[in-house]
Amino acid sequence: MQTLEFQNIKKIERSATRKRIFFRWLLFLMLGLFALYYIAPLYVMIVTSLKTMEEIRQGNLMSLPGEIIFDSWKTAWSGRGGIDAGNVFLRPFFWNSLKMVVPAVAISTFFGAMNGYALTKWRFKGDNLLFLAFLFGCFIPYQAILLPMSRTLGILGISNSISGLVLVHTVYGLSFTTLFFRNYYISIPDEMIKAARIDGAGFFKIFFKVLLPISSPIIVVTVIWQFTNIWNDFLFGSSFSFGEAAPIQVALNNMVLTSTSVKEYNVDMAAAFIAGIPTLIVYVLAGKYFIRGLTAGSVKG
Amino acid sequence: MATLKVNNLTKDFGNTKVLKQINLEVSDGEFIVLLGPSGCGKSTLLNMIAGLESVDEGEIIIDEYVVNRVEPKDRNIAMVFQSYALYPAMTVRNNVIFGLKQRKVSKEHIEKSLNRFSKMLQIDQLLDRKPAQLSGGQRQRVAMGRALVREPQIFLFDEPLSNLDAKLRVEMRHEINKLHEQLGTTMIYVTHDQVEAMSLATRIAVMNEGIIQQIGTPQEIYDQPNSIFVADFVGSPSINLVPGKFSVEKNQFFFIPKQMEENFKIPLKDYKFNNRPSEGQEVIFGFRPEHINLEDKSLKFQIELNLEPILIELTGYEQNITFDFMGHEVIGRLPRNINAQVGKAISLSLNLSEISIFDKISTNRI
Repeated sequence: MQTLEFQNIKKIERSATRKRIFFRWLLFLMLGLFALYYIAPLYVMIVTSLKTMEEIRQGNLMSLPGEIIFDSWKTAWSGRGGIDAGNVFLRPFFWNSLKMVVPAVAISTFFGAMNGYALTKWRFKGDNLLFLAFLFGCFIPYQAILLPMSRTLGILGISNSISGLVLVHTVYGLSFTTLFFRNYYISIPDEMIKAARIDGAGFFKIFFKVLLPISSPIIVVTVIWQFTNIWNDFLFGSSFSFGEAAPIQVALNNMVLTSTSVKEYNVDMAAAFIAGIPTLIVYVLAGKYFIRGLTAGSVKG
Repeated sequence: MATLKVNNLTKDFGNTKVLKQINLEVSDGEFIVLLGPSGCGKSTLLNMIAGLESVDEGEIIIDEYVVNRVEPKDRNIAMVFQSYALYPAMTVRNNVIFGLKQRKVSKEHIEKSLNRFSKMLQIDQLLDRKPAQLSGGQRQRVAMGRALVREPQIFLFDEPLSNLDAKLRVEMRHEINKLHEQLGTTMIYVTHDQVEAMSLATRIAVMNEGIIQQIGTPQEIYDQPNSIFVADFVGSPSINLVPGKFSVEKNQFFFIPKQMEENFKIPLKDYKFNNRPSEGQEVIFGFRPEHINLEDKSLKFQIELNLEPILIELTGYEQNITFDFMGHEVIGRLPRNINAQVGKAISLSLNLSEISIFDKISTNRI
């Protein structure tokens, strides 16, 4: 009797092992398929950008280029030189975007941190109401603020300028950065702030010496979030700037749509890729902190 | 060195009255423990003394000066928190000297104090570590070091040992006691642990629901609790409380336990009444577990009892035995060498010289 039961258990155990292996392989297969599906557009972009127009006209979207030529990348970045004066190329607009993104991200992150700190550690009457107002800011659709914002920029005399865009993105981003930092700082024990107050540190000292040094996870999250949003923004850029002051996404649009003669798919693809490179770099460099920061709870201390 | 005086201190959080007219006087060098269950307002009181909570009504006076609106940093106090509240980004060294740096103390003096107190607390080997690399006990030491280097007038402790395990807690308790002996600084200590309170305090203030129920030396609190709350809160196992009524016969006072059919009376010969109760008044009779002993004729005031054990708990050096005392469960603390068995009655005596009697309605000591 006992041996029979034992054999049964052995059988069950064996079939369970087989099942596990089968499902493991199924899982990897599915994941592999999804990965291919998501990477396909990128592949097409790169391959197309390296082909000549003749090759593209043959219509083999997925085929590798016969000869790798970087001409289209050059054209997208710095143009063809004087031949075609109306031609748009990305280099100046890339710098425009960088000049807009860096201050906008820095300022909105810094003040978001300050807001989060004040809202959680220096409670005052109506602080929750104020936070609610900030939260409300996250839900205002972009389109709703276009008109009032353009009027404001006009009054301030900074419409169609990089500084105008910096202001727009800072103000719009503040809701999100405040939310991020507020939720992070609320998990940090108040006693730490009390101890610092008794030690003699004031509002700013506590912020810079005690809180900011332990905020790196949430700073990374905020910077990635803000950087991606501001870099990729098209609506504000196209509404509040034109011509030489435009950020790269607007220039990319102009470049692709204003090509007078033939559509140069290889140049368009290269341009689109160039416009996407900075966000890719930020993700690659800080991606793991992003995940960590999103799930970061309280600081052990 | 400083004295502290709290006059009619009141604090509301919204509609809840957290502190109701607190009065407290602490003389120089005293070790006062604020003892009470969670939510009794003891931590709020401490935070107000520290200046971390605003004062609604009343006064806080340190050394003759009203400090109601003085910033925490200017009160010359230091505080140790339950969660240690170390600065995670700083090394132990910087944690400890942060307060001195804020005060622009000279480098030599900082170095000297750091040396002295890190040796005293045995954290001199840990100075270059970060708080995350320390054990709970070490963090607690660092937190104390941070308070000590400032050499404040008053130390405030907010349940500093609650996060430590039992063994470490006893160790740190000893060290805090030693520190007080060495420094002689005024200390105010908040805890809900009555053992901590008894072993540390020169005086204990028992708090409940925003009121100080009783202030006194640990002995006074233990021997003459002025209310059922205090009696029940202090002591482990807790005091035995038996309801019944008071009776007077020929100028002799007796306590008659409830539900007593036969004529069983406990004489209250030596009891010092605060105010004399009336005949038939409902009272609660309290006696501590150690007042039940094996028969001992040498005791001055005692009665003999024959009680049946219901439950026997060995604590190591003695045993806590739950008896059936006329329908009530009472606990006796007896030496472990007596051979007690559940259901087998033992002859015992109840020491009557240290009992407490409370009014049933007001719950105050009679």
